Amino acid sequence: MSTKLIGRTSVRDNIKLSEDPSYPIFKELYEKQKKVVWFPEELNIQQDALDYHSLTDDEKELFDTAVGYFCSSELLVQNVLVNSFFPLLTDPHAKMSFSTQLFMENIHSDFFEIVLQSFGLDREKMYDVAFDDPILRKKQDLIVDEIDKISHGKINPETLEGQKQVLRAILLNNIVLEGIFFYSSFAHFFALKDMAKMKNVVSGVELVLIDESLHLQNGIEAILIMLDENPEIVEDTEYVQDIRNVILEGTSLEIEYVKHQFGDRTILGISSGEMERYLKYITDRRLQELGFQQEFHINENPLRFLQKEDVKKLINFFEVSSTEYTNY
Amino acid sequence: MKRTVIKRDGTEEPFRTQKIINAIFEIIQGLEVEDDYEIVFKIMKELDLKVPKRVATEELDQLVLKAIEQLIPKHPVYDTLATRQLLKIIDKDINRRLDHFRDYLARGFEENLLDESLKEFDFELLANSLNFDRDGLLGYFGLTTLKDRYLMRDRDDQIIEKPQWFFMRVAMGIGNSNGEVIKIYNKLSKLEYLHSTPTLFNSGTTTAQYSSCYVSVIDDSLDSIMDKARETAFLAKYAGGVGTDVTRIRATGSNIKSLNAPSSGAIPFIKIFDTLVNSIQQGGRRRSSQVMSMQPWHLDIDGFLDLRETTGNAYFRTPSLNTSLWMPDEMMRRIKEGEPLYFFDPGECPELVDAVGDDFRAKYEKRIEQAEAGGLKQFDKRDSKNFFKKYLFKLAKTGHPWLIFKDEHNRHNPCPEYSVINSSNLCTEISIPNHSDSTAVCTLASVNLSKHLTDDESDIDWDKFEDTLETMTRGLDNVLDKNFYPSEPAEKNTMDLRPLGIGLMGFAEALVDLGIPYDSEEAVILARKIGAFMRKVTYRTSQQLAEERGAFEHYREMKEAGSPYDYKPRRNAVLLAIAPTASISIISGTTSSIDSYFSNLYSRDTLSGKHIVINRQLIEDLEEKGHWSDEMAQKIKANNGSVQPIQELDGVINKDLYKTAYEIHPERQIDIAAAFQESIDQSVSKSLYIAERMRDDMEEFYLYAWEKKLKSTYYCFIDKVVKGEKYTEEVNKRGSRKGFGAVSSDTGSESSNGTSSKPGKEEQESVSDREELEARAREKFGDEVVDQALNADAGSCPTDPMLQKICPSCE
Ligand SMILES: [Fe+2]
Ligand SMILES: [Fe+2]
Repeated sequence: MSTKLIGRTSVRDNIKLSEDPSYPIFKELYEKQKKVVWFPEELNIQQDALDYHSLTDDEKELFDTAVGYFCSSELLVQNVLVNSFFPLLTDPHAKMSFSTQLFMENIHSDFFEIVLQSFGLDREKMYDVAFDDPILRKKQDLIVDEIDKISHGKINPETLEGQKQVLRAILLNNIVLEGIFFYSSFAHFFALKDMAKMKNVVSGVELVLIDESLHLQNGIEAILIMLDENPEIVEDTEYVQDIRNVILEGTSLEIEYVKHQFGDRTILGISSGEMERYLKYITDRRLQELGFQQEFHINENPLRFLQKEDVKKLINFFEVSSTEYTNY
Repeated sequence: MKRTVIKRDGTEEPFRTQKIINAIFEIIQGLEVEDDYEIVFKIMKELDLKVPKRVATEELDQLVLKAIEQLIPKHPVYDTLATRQLLKIIDKDINRRLDHFRDYLARGFEENLLDESLKEFDFELLANSLNFDRDGLLGYFGLTTLKDRYLMRDRDDQIIEKPQWFFMRVAMGIGNSNGEVIKIYNKLSKLEYLHSTPTLFNSGTTTAQYSSCYVSVIDDSLDSIMDKARETAFLAKYAGGVGTDVTRIRATGSNIKSLNAPSSGAIPFIKIFDTLVNSIQQGGRRRSSQVMSMQPWHLDIDGFLDLRETTGNAYFRTPSLNTSLWMPDEMMRRIKEGEPLYFFDPGECPELVDAVGDDFRAKYEKRIEQAEAGGLKQFDKRDSKNFFKKYLFKLAKTGHPWLIFKDEHNRHNPCPEYSVINSSNLCTEISIPNHSDSTAVCTLASVNLSKHLTDDESDIDWDKFEDTLETMTRGLDNVLDKNFYPSEPAEKNTMDLRPLGIGLMGFAEALVDLGIPYDSEEAVILARKIGAFMRKVTYRTSQQLAEERGAFEHYREMKEAGSPYDYKPRRNAVLLAIAPTASISIISGTTSSIDSYFSNLYSRDTLSGKHIVINRQLIEDLEEKGHWSDEMAQKIKANNGSVQPIQELDGVINKDLYKTAYEIHPERQIDIAAAFQESIDQSVSKSLYIAERMRDDMEEFYLYAWEKKLKSTYYCFIDKVVKGEKYTEEVNKRGSRKGFGAVSSDTGSESSNGTSSKPGKEEQESVSDREELEARAREKFGDEVVDQALNADAGSCPTDPMLQKICPSCE
C-alpha cells in the first residue's frame, strides 16, 4: 500500500478503517458532512412561485443563469471527482469524505432540478447555458479540458509528474470551481434574499453553501497533504507559478462573466464593480489558504450583506423555510 | 468613471457627488452625532462602488439606502439613518399621489379598501392628532417590515399609507369614539403596544378579519372531517392560523361499522389538510398555516411523529402542517417513573379523549387492565423512556411536534361546563374550551414592556402599564363585535365566551434597562409580579365591561340555568395569552415575547428578507464605557454574538446582562415562563433554546417544564454546530502549514514563488520564545481564550495572529 494520499489502488485496498486514521482530518470532515445532510423536500420551494413571476427581467436573468449554472455544474463536479482523482485516493477516511461530497452533489443537483421544475424554467436551455453562453463556456472549459487530460488512468500517480497533475485537478475542481465560481453565484442568490426575494430557494442555497465550504476544505486539505508528502512539488517554481496562474485565470474569467452580466447597471443593488472586488477578496482568501501571498490585497468583503450569513440565524418559522435544524 | 443620472422625466445629467453628500447631510440633521463628516464619508465610500455608469434617480435613493444599511452593524446611528432614508423614499413616493391624510382616506373609500363605518369619525380631528415625529421611534427592520407587508396598497399595488396614517387607520378600526381612536392611535404610534398581525392588516378595512388564531375539533366521522376541511379553507383564506384536534379520528385497522371494513387511520386524513393549506398558502402577505394536535396515546402516534420527516413516503408526510402533542399528566408521570405507556384506538376507547386529570388516569388504567386481560381489539404497550426519547429526537430534528400539557390547560378552564379544552393553537398560547360546533377564536395584542419604564429606568411605570392594559382590554373587546368570522362555529365560540389574548413583548429589553440579568432569580420574581399585575388590571377592566356591556353569554346562561360559576361576572371568559410576537416585536424594535435576546448580533429571516439585528443596548453601554469600536464589533461577531468570552470586558460592563439565548440555562428559561404562567389564564408559548452540549439533557428539561406547570412549550432550538464558511471574516483553514509558501521559509523571500507579492509580515517575524509569547497572550486575551487556543484543532484555529502562534495545530 502506498504511503501517500494519492497513489495507485486496487479494489482490494482501503477497505479497512483504522481506529487511528492516517489522515484524521478526513474523518473529521466526513463527520461534519454527515451532520449537515439535508434533502430538497425540507424546503418549501413552491412558495416562491409568485415571487419568481414578480422578478424584473434582469433579476430573472440573473436567477435563471445562476440556477442553470449550478444545474450543469453539480454533476460536473461529480464527474471530475470520479473520473480523475477519486480512484487514486489511498486512504479509506479520505474516500469516505470525498464520497460524501459526491453524495451531496446529488442532493444539490436534485435541489436545482426541483427549482427548475417549480418555476417552469426551460430545461434544455438551463442545462446548456453553461456551455452555450460563450463566457460561461470559457469557465467550464478551463475545468473540463484540464480534467480530460488526466482522466481514466492517463497518468501515473507513482511519479512526481502524476502527483502534480492530480493536485492540479483537485485544485481546479475543489478550489477554482467550488471555491471561486460557485461563490460568485452564491452571492447572486444571497442578494435576492437580501431584497426579500426567492427566500425559500435561497434557504436551500444556504444549505448548499454549507456543503460547498466543506468540499472546499476537502480540497484544501488534500492539496496541503500532497504538498507535505511531496516536498519536491514546491521546488518546481514553474509549476507553483502555474498553479497560482490557474487560480487567477479562473478569477479573471469569473470577473469577465460578472462584468458582462451586470453591465453598467445594478441588479439587486449590486454593481459589477462590487462583484469584481468581492471576487478578488474571495481569490485572495483562496490563495492564502493554499499558502500563496494575496494578489489583490483586499481584506474586507465589499458585499457586506453577506455578513448576515456569518452570524446566528433566527427564523420566523411560518414565513421562511428553516435551515437551522441538524439531523442528529 | 463618468456616470450619468437619468431623471424621472427621462432627461439625463452628470452624476454629482456633491448632490448626494448634501442629501445625506440632510438626513443626518437634528441627530446628535460626534462627527457628521465621518459618517458621510463612510456612506459615500460604501456608495461609490455601488453606483453604476447609468443610474435612475429613484435607484440612486435606493443605493444610498443600501449603502447605509450595510453600515448598521457598525453603529446604531446607521440604523437611524437608514430608517430616515427609507422614510424619505416612502414619503416621496406617496406625496406624488396623495397630499393629505384625508386624500388617503378618500382613496381608500373610493377603491372600496376602507370600511364605510370609518366615516362616522371626525377626520379633521384625527388628522390633527397625527404626529409624524413618531416615525423616528421606528427602527430600520421595523419600518422595512411595515413597508413590505403592512402599509396599505391601492388596487394598483402602490403603497398609499404613511406609517402614521397606518397607525391611525388601525386605531379607527378598533375605537368606538373619536376619543378612544386617538387614545389607541397614541399608544400604537408610540409603540407602547401592538395588535397582532391580522388586526394590523385588516383593521378598518373591508376585510375586517382581526383574529390570529382559530382552534377546531374534528369528530370521528367523514362528515366532520370534510366539514372541517371546508372550515379550514375559509379560515386560512383570511390569514388565520388554524389549530385542529385530530385525536378522535379512529386509528388504523379500526372497524368502520357502515362498511364493515378496517379504517386507514388518522394519517391519510391529515394529509388532506396538508394539501389544502398548501394550496391556500400560495398567495397573500402572510402564510396561513395549520397545526394538527393529537393526544399521544393514539395508536397512530408513530405516523403522527413522522409527519414532518422529510424522507419516506410523501403520502404520509405533511410539510405544510405543524404538529403538536396534547400530553396528559398520566403519561408524563409514567415517563418520569419509567412505567410503560399504552396506546389505544379512540374508535374503541372514545372516553379517553374528553377525560382530563384523575378522570383520565382512572379511565386509562381501566383500559390497560382490559388490554392486559385480552379484552381489546387493538392496543400497543411500549417502554415510556424509549418513547419519550424518540419523541424528543423528532422534536430536535424536525422542530415538531411541540409538547403541550393537556391537563394543565384543562385545570384552568374557566368554563368546563361549556366544553373541555381540546387543543391549543398554532402558536401554543391559546387555551379556550371548544368542540366540533364551536371553534375557538382568539384576538390578540401585546404590550411592549420596554416602553413602560419610569424615566430613571429604576422600575416599571405601573400607572402607565395599567392605562395601556385597560385600553387594550376595551379595544380588543370592541373588536369582537366588528370582526368578520369566516365560519359559523367560530362566531358561536366568540359570542359565547368573548375570549381575549393580551400578551407581552420587550420583557428582555426592559430587564436590561432595569439592570436585571435575565438569568437571575430577580428576573423570575419580576416575571411573577408582572403576570399578576396584568391579571389584576385586565380582570378588573373586564368586570367593569360586564357592568357596561354584559357578561359573556355562556356565563349568563349558566347563571340563568341555576348553576352559576363561582367568579364575578366579567365580559370575557379568558383575557391573557403570551404569544411569540414574532412580527410585531420586529415592528416595535424590541425583544420578542418573554424571550431573552437571541444573540447580541444575529440575522433574522422573515418575509421581508434577511436582516441583521444588533443589541443596541449593549452597544450603547459599551460606548458609554469607551469600549465600542470596529474591533469590538468584529470580536462580538467572531464569538457568534456573545460577549462572555471577551475578557477585556470583564468589569467594564455587567456581562450577565448580555447573555444570549443559548447561554441561559433551559431551566431558567422555564422558570421565567412558569412565573408568568401562574397568572396568565390562557397560555405562555415558550420556545426552548438548548446549547448543543446540553442536547442529551433534553428529557430532563421537558420533564422540568411539566413539573413547573408550564402549559405549552413551542419550538426547541438547538444551536447549530456545523456552519458554512464565514464570508466576511477570515478563518484560518491552513493553520501554520506552509502550503505553496513552504519554499520561502528557507530563503526568507517569497520570490521563489514567482509572485510579485511582497513577503508577508507574519512570515518575517521570527518567534523564538514560545513561552514568552504565551505569557503575553495571556495578558492580552486572558486565560480562557489562550487555553482554548492551546487546545484548538485544525477546524477551530484562532484567527488572531498572536494566538495562531501558540495554537498547536497552527504551530
Ligand atoms: Fe454542490
Ligand atoms: Fe461541492
